[in-house]
Amino acid sequence: MISITIDNLVKKFGEQVALNGISLKIEPGEIFFLLGPSGCGKTTLLRNIAGFYIPEGGRILFGDEDVTTLPPHKRNTGMMFQSYALWPHMTVAKNVAFGLEERKVPPAEIGQRVAAALASVKMEQYASRKIAQLSGGQQQRVALARALVIRPRALLLDEPLSNLDAKLRLEMRTEIRRVCKEFGLTAIYVTHDQKEALSISDRMAILEGGRIAQIGKPEEVYRRPLSRVVADFIGETNFLPGKVVSASGSSALVETEVGRFEGAVSDPDWHPSAGESVTLSVRPEAWKLTAEPAPVNSARGRIGESLYLGEVAQYQFNAGGHQLKIFELNPHVADRTTDHDLFASADPEDVVVLRK
Amino acid sequence: MNSGSRSLGPKAVYVLTGLYFLCFFALPIWETLGGAFRNPGGGFTMAYVIEVFRNPIYLEGLGNSVLMAVFSTLLTSAIALPLALLTDRYLFPAKNLFTALILIPMILPPFVGAIGVKQILGQEGALNALLIALHLMNPVHPVDWLGQSRLFGVVVMNALHLYPILYLNLVAALANVDPAMEEAAENLGCTGFRKFRKITLPLIMPGFFAGGIIVFIWAFTELGVPLMFDFNRVTSVQIFNGLKEIGGNPFPYALVVVMLVSTVLLYVLSKATLGRAGHAMMAKATSQGGPRPATPLGGWLIALFFAFITFLAILPHLGVILVAFSRDWYGTILPSGWTLEHFRQALGHDLTLPSIQNSLKYASLATLIDIVLGIAIAWVVTRTKLPGRQFLDTMAMLPLAVPGLVLAFGYLAMTQSGKLFSFLDPKVDPLMILVIAYSVRRLPYVVRSAAAGFQQTSVTLEEAAQNLGCPPFKALRKITLPLIAANLMAGGLLAFSFAMLEVSDSLILAQKQEDFPITKAIYELYNLLGDGRFIASALGVWAMVFLGICILGASLILGKKLGAIFRV
Repeated sequence: MISITIDNLVKKFGEQVALNGISLKIEPGEIFFLLGPSGCGKTTLLRNIAGFYIPEGGRILFGDEDVTTLPPHKRNTGMMFQSYALWPHMTVAKNVAFGLEERKVPPAEIGQRVAAALASVKMEQYASRKIAQLSGGQQQRVALARALVIRPRALLLDEPLSNLDAKLRLEMRTEIRRVCKEFGLTAIYVTHDQKEALSISDRMAILEGGRIAQIGKPEEVYRRPLSRVVADFIGETNFLPGKVVSASGSSALVETEVGRFEGAVSDPDWHPSAGESVTLSVRPEAWKLTAEPAPVNSARGRIGESLYLGEVAQYQFNAGGHQLKIFELNPHVADRTTDHDLFASADPEDVVVLRK
Repeated sequence: MNSGSRSLGPKAVYVLTGLYFLCFFALPIWETLGGAFRNPGGGFTMAYVIEVFRNPIYLEGLGNSVLMAVFSTLLTSAIALPLALLTDRYLFPAKNLFTALILIPMILPPFVGAIGVKQILGQEGALNALLIALHLMNPVHPVDWLGQSRLFGVVVMNALHLYPILYLNLVAALANVDPAMEEAAENLGCTGFRKFRKITLPLIMPGFFAGGIIVFIWAFTELGVPLMFDFNRVTSVQIFNGLKEIGGNPFPYALVVVMLVSTVLLYVLSKATLGRAGHAMMAKATSQGGPRPATPLGGWLIALFFAFITFLAILPHLGVILVAFSRDWYGTILPSGWTLEHFRQALGHDLTLPSIQNSLKYASLATLIDIVLGIAIAWVVTRTKLPGRQFLDTMAMLPLAVPGLVLAFGYLAMTQSGKLFSFLDPKVDPLMILVIAYSVRRLPYVVRSAAAGFQQTSVTLEEAAQNLGCPPFKALRKITLPLIAANLMAGGLLAFSFAMLEVSDSLILAQKQEDFPITKAIYELYNLLGDGRFIASALGVWAMVFLGICILGASLILGKKLGAIFRV
């Protein structure tokens, strides 16, 4: 179990800057997610950690050891590739044994450890199969076993679930978390699937344009995004432009076109002043629909389109020229008439004040 | 591409392969140029090259070479285009068999086939005997089919040997044409031959060019066939005959330069007019085209056409086989007696057995070099980001476009006494220089097939191995090379079999009898009086069987990708 420290990392491809001064520290045994839209640099960062790229600037530390220029085969990381990269000319057992053979582990021990690794991903009965004879989910398990069997210092996962169908993806998510915690592994996991990140990460970093936009626990990132980009990328949200009326500490009163809202400022380093243009972010599920206006944070409007999904209903709520997206859990759609006005209100805790 | 230490490998490969090309591709050409443009005082002169254009014999040779190339290319197109179109458009009886048989002519150097053709078309040959037997010809004045025009025989031989190269290119090009393009033309009222001329032909032009230019260069510089037909007024034969004076006479140099410059000019000119980048297909084929069944009658007619072409193509080979088995064959339709004696002799003659050993030795060493260089070059080109790797790729393909005759001559020139590489002098021991010559000429096949393998094999497979503790070079050896073994085998097999039956290098560079490879042994045997041509034919049949097995193997491994190997 080691910590991984990234210190002011810069990676360029020709003129193009892929990583622009990334710094972060991943704690021992942590499952850390790198998240962001395609082209944000998340895979580039992972490949730097694996050693397939050498950065132009900055350092990478495994514990106290500087591995910045160490070639990949000397880093002792276990990587799961998006394509799995299982070798088609070897059997399942041979694939899993490969890393141990490279480490000159005695054959008897190799046999035991391969069997144990395959058992831990429930693939022991497929040991003598060829890779082409496995389904996608089975290949994924073999790739995981191959990465784990060498007892790596860190597990690196590059969108390992993107080639699986939705049901299998859910199953493998919890499987990967279980295995990581069982082995006490420091894991770095690249994905563009926010559900994956929210559900199994200890902490995550959202990257944008080669920089870190925010680092935090899933709930922090979801409930307290630091920027529009993060709020927009993680989950769904409603943005409302407005002007600050008054601000004190970490809360601010903002005048918008649909009414006056009180919200929380998520960035501790930023203190908006009266008159400043800002943006409010309110999650669709944070709104409550009522017949009468709430004492604070209320918008008057009328339901337009609605979509009934059983456990939840999604409404389009037209208020003051804005279309708000509202999710209602355990909905009573029959009560949600479109022929008279309603009020949508949000708790000040659920309203995030962001830079314009 | 990764760290400092890891980018050393590609650079080393680049420098080493570059050096090999500099020494054994650029230098021979440079030496030839030097011999043609340097006057006895060491200064620059155009006099020799100008003299080539003043001398009526050289001029006639050059004219004949151009005619030989033009007519060979036209006849090759006339054979290959209909075959390719029919293959692309129709299903017909025994299609798989016929499309495989189409490749047969490649299994024998045409100059061996020439023995068979002379036996059939000669004045006392099988055709005349047949016509006389049918009372269609006056036995007192038999027609000399080949004597009328030696050019005719050479062109027919070239075309019958070279059409598979063009055919494979055309089939590949036609397969890439989106059927919707032709359907759009039909929809607008353009059908039949007009549609072919206005739509299909322009679309397949790059493929046509790629195959056509190889055929053209091959025919332009063909040495073996005109030699066998005693067609001496062509540049290639004039160069060959001038070799004896290579030490003092600048005119062979000047001739080679004229040939090289014409080749390059024609290449550039035709590429500019015919081979332009090609019309990018806007989208992948939108409809499933594919060949459709021909009508029953049409199907049989197409099969008949294929059978006819195949028959013509194997006629020279049949002739060679018959000659090899015949006790005597003079003025009769079929040989007047049969014997296996020549095969026994072919393996016992003091010229043949050593020549087979020599060829095996030269070809295996050359193939070994090709596989090592081919993997290295293909790896740099496909797997690294080294600046200038495209140049390496182009360089490795160039030997396809430079006539073998020119290179062979250059090798001879650069190993003259007093030159840097005089220690490779083929008069002393041709082993090294022949192996080098074979390897340079066949390298493109191996580079192409290895590069295809690398491209089909994801680089993450190697990265996964590195991640698990395997050093990069070992990862290449343990993971990727086993996975592209089929490509390497196919490319190596082609390189090997073509090297076994290489003509111009062999005729020019092997100068002592004990060093002769198979092809030169066949040539020398043929020129022997007595039963020389029978033994030469028997040796040719052995060669045919051998090369047939090799090409069959390669096409089984590569399948439809075989055509991609024959492109510039």
